[in-house]
Amino acid sequence: MANIKEYTRNKEGSNIGKIVIDRDLCIGAASCIAVSGETYELDNENKAVVIHADATDDATLMMSAESCPTKAILLFDKIGNKIFPK
Amino acid sequence: MDKEYKYLIIGGGVAGTTAAETLRQNDKDGGVAIVSDEPRMYSRIMLSKPNFFLGKIPFDQIWLREERWYAENKIDFIGETMAQNLDPQNKTITLKDGRILKYEKLLLATGGEARRWPIPGSDKKGVCYLRDLKEAQTLIENVKTAKQAIAIGSGFVSFEMCDMMRQADLEVTLVMREPYYWFPLLDEESARIIEDALQKGGVKIFRDAEVCEILGKEKIEGVILKDNTKIDCQFALIGIGLSCNLDWIKESGIKMNKGILTNEYLETNIPDIYAAGDVAEFNDLVLGEKIQLGNWVNAQVQGKTAAHNMLASFDKLRTRQPFKMVSFYTCIGFGLNIAMSGDVRMKPEYRIIKRRSPESGSFARIIVDANDEIIGATFINRTQDMSVINKLIESDFKVASHETELADVNFNLKQLLPKT
Repeated sequence: MANIKEYTRNKEGSNIGKIVIDRDLCIGAASCIAVSGETYELDNENKAVVIHADATDDATLMMSAESCPTKAILLFDKIGNKIFPK
Repeated sequence: MDKEYKYLIIGGGVAGTTAAETLRQNDKDGGVAIVSDEPRMYSRIMLSKPNFFLGKIPFDQIWLREERWYAENKIDFIGETMAQNLDPQNKTITLKDGRILKYEKLLLATGGEARRWPIPGSDKKGVCYLRDLKEAQTLIENVKTAKQAIAIGSGFVSFEMCDMMRQADLEVTLVMREPYYWFPLLDEESARIIEDALQKGGVKIFRDAEVCEILGKEKIEGVILKDNTKIDCQFALIGIGLSCNLDWIKESGIKMNKGILTNEYLETNIPDIYAAGDVAEFNDLVLGEKIQLGNWVNAQVQGKTAAHNMLASFDKLRTRQPFKMVSFYTCIGFGLNIAMSGDVRMKPEYRIIKRRSPESGSFARIIVDANDEIIGATFINRTQDMSVINKLIESDFKVASHETELADVNFNLKQLLPKT
């Protein structure tokens, strides 16, 4: 079982329903925090965690996932289809 | 003239690619091209991670953009070539293959290269650097065949590569000129935590040491240190910093130092020419001085900022944005996570607040300047504090009566942030 953490997103009008962090892939580069410090922070294992899944808009969330140098952030739509990485 | 672009970007790393992406998002039709000496954008940051080296994740995970991404976004990717000349009067770039490209706005995001090891014989096989894919591939081959390795330098690259080499069961010796790891950016106490972890992980360390001779004919077989110690090795990893190749723009009139000098808008002294990423020596608004940084997040955010300012130069409705960010870098190895943020260069007038928990082996140093403001911090196994500390650095927070709280690991630092 992969070491993953899932976060449900309930933001109104958003197409993204779930943010997933693959903790095996995450290396704590923190590029996601640079894009959206409202959404992510690093925990005591130097892994990214989501602190507010609804804090930002879809475009910024997408950018945060795209910016990850290890593709450790996965985004899913409201019905569970993976949007990123494609 | 072979082709004309509204936006021409030299360099296809994270700064150049983020810039191209930002330009395309905001200008649907303007011509965008990236000139790169590499096949397409990949994760340079993965290059030093054991998971990648030891094949624990598929090699293809390294690519951060599909080949088709460039075409889908109408970005011309001019790959596996280099810019050779810049003519700012005629606004043209000449490529190595002779092609001439004209630009309206030019972004220089050429990054840096691993500083070469200035020791006679360092051109022998088995002497490796780690900066790009080719170097990584050479390194992987050497790791497979070597039994003994030396690592030169006491920074992020050496630390992460020592971890990888130990995981690959190599006998590893670390040779550093400095009296302790990461001198002078860390203090001795933090450095000892790192050195202990390296030694427990099986790495032998030589401090205050320098290689004076490299043994072997075509291939490295060992080194001799200045104190005559001989170390056998079939492989040497050199991690002694970064340098930028600026020779090709020497005659262009662009002002430079170690990098290309820019203001806080990432504009060079020549109109319509910008610089971003590792190559930019920019006016840092947080530190109040010109600085050059080599890290992923910095390059990513600068690529975006430079693109915004290139867009703003065409569009009066947009205003230029300064680049303002507390820079940080993190790395993992030997069971430690290490991070540095802001300015960690100590000065006599600064003081340090120590935030540590000996039971959990965690130790943060919060650096406070003469104005009683936090300007930087180093973290060992305390990266959970980094976000808040960065916000405190950015907001010019005054330490005043909060010193005891900052030093107390049981105190939640978030309480120091302004209420929103």
